[in-house]
Amino acid sequence: MIELQNVTKRYPGNREALSHLNLTIEQGEMAFLTGPSGAGKSTLLKLIAAIEKPTRGQVFINRKNITRIPKRKVPALRRHMGVVFQDHHLLHDRNVFDNVSLPLQIAGFAQVDINRRVRAALDKVDLLDKEKMMPITLSGGEQQRVGIARAVVHKPAILLADEPTGNLDPELSAEIMRLFSDFNQVGVTVLIASHDLDLITRMQKRIIRLRAGECIDSQSVNSPQDFEIIN
Amino acid sequence: MAKTRHQQPLSRPKLKTRTRAYMRDHARVLLFSLGKLYRTPFATVMTILMIAVALALPACLYVLLSNLQTVTQKWNDAGQISIFLNENTSEQQITQLHKKLRDHKEIERVDFISAKEALKEFKQRSGFGELLEGLPNNPLPPTLIITPIEAAKDSEHLQKLKTQFISLPQVEQVHVDMQWLQRLRSITAIIRHAIFAIGIMLGLSVLLVVGNSIRLDIENRREEIEVTKLIGATDRFIRRPFLYGGMWYGLLGGVLALILVIIVLLVIRQPAQELVSLYNSDFKLILPSLIQSLLLVLTSIFLGLVGSWLAVNRRISKIQPS
Repeated sequence: MIELQNVTKRYPGNREALSHLNLTIEQGEMAFLTGPSGAGKSTLLKLIAAIEKPTRGQVFINRKNITRIPKRKVPALRRHMGVVFQDHHLLHDRNVFDNVSLPLQIAGFAQVDINRRVRAALDKVDLLDKEKMMPITLSGGEQQRVGIARAVVHKPAILLADEPTGNLDPELSAEIMRLFSDFNQVGVTVLIASHDLDLITRMQKRIIRLRAGECIDSQSVNSPQDFEIIN
Repeated sequence: MAKTRHQQPLSRPKLKTRTRAYMRDHARVLLFSLGKLYRTPFATVMTILMIAVALALPACLYVLLSNLQTVTQKWNDAGQISIFLNENTSEQQITQLHKKLRDHKEIERVDFISAKEALKEFKQRSGFGELLEGLPNNPLPPTLIITPIEAAKDSEHLQKLKTQFISLPQVEQVHVDMQWLQRLRSITAIIRHAIFAIGIMLGLSVLLVVGNSIRLDIENRREEIEVTKLIGATDRFIRRPFLYGGMWYGLLGGVLALILVIIVLLVIRQPAQELVSLYNSDFKLILPSLIQSLLLVLTSIFLGLVGSWLAVNRRISKIQPS
């Protein structure tokens, strides 16, 4: 589903965020990206979402090479993805329903389908009763769940998340991770950048560890004990 | 890993559905952008006032000028030619001349004022009657007042007629009452050009005012633009609310400009009528017509759209999520 071939990303000022990275994430897989800050986690997600272009190497999404994708084709590519941010990035001038429905409006769905899909997504994140509220009146955990509902409302094939639990307490974080796991259960390819090692080891999924732009380890963790051994 | 069920990916909506959604989005954005202006009342009112004042100024001048033109057009008698005859022209000669002139195809009518009548009128009008009584004889000549036909009232024709008349027997002097009207008309022509130039400059300032407001709006919404781009919005989708915002600025500014113009005209109506009545004219101040009003508002909408287009065009494609 996602494939990076010998990808190097160098930012202006010669800082190499990623160097000669090879990585494949299968369709329907769920994986975590981890590593110290500056290891290249965010850069990797940006390359997949076509926010940045690699300096060298190729990026494939669903076997399509997106390395040199023209600007006008980027919106269509992004409609196949859902992106969750650490700080939600909700639009504060409209209510929860309108925030969540945005991807469907952009894609041009009929109003009945929009209503149905948005309610289904809000139901999934357990916020059905808050659709009329403004984002600012919600708690941090609720806002993050609105962000997740928006990321999945159009049933994307790929779900990307950059530190989705960064600002949440452990209990809420576990709840959010369970949500991602649920989406993965129905076939969505999920890639989550997180530095919360405790949390992600408990999820028992593949963990990709980056350090200084290189992949130093990629292992499927089946139990927390496995992870101790890797370490 | 046990995968019990796979979600079906949402298929792309049909063209018909997408077209309907496209129309719906336009309607939604139309209202949404108006609501956005409503939520920032101070900035909105400032912008609209600036647009209104910038447009009301040339519009007022234009309406006043067209009023002036209707007034001067009524002064047809200004295109008359006075033929002053020799003092001792006999009555028979005058009758002959009168008849000859009346048959001229470029002359509408001929009026004769005898020396006596001229003196009487002069006494009445000037108030120097007593002074004239001291003179041994009447210094005023008998006069023929020529009113040319409508088509012959421009200066070229009048000059031609003048040279024809001067060669007639018994004619002492020919005077064309034209120059001051011509001067007035060339002054109004200058004013019209000046108003046009002022209108263009103020129209440009409307572009800048709208452009600047929209530019600020875009800067304030940079994060929102980045997020919607990440969700897969095209530049056109993002541009839409800003263009509609510019249209609203134009519409509201144009309507307010029209109201300002009408207020100004109503305020000067009374003194203008008093002034004109001194010139014995049955003048009525004309307010802008429905079409002119519509034109003003449409121009304003057009300027609003162009201004926001200029602000939006490159800036939106430059904003990229990071």
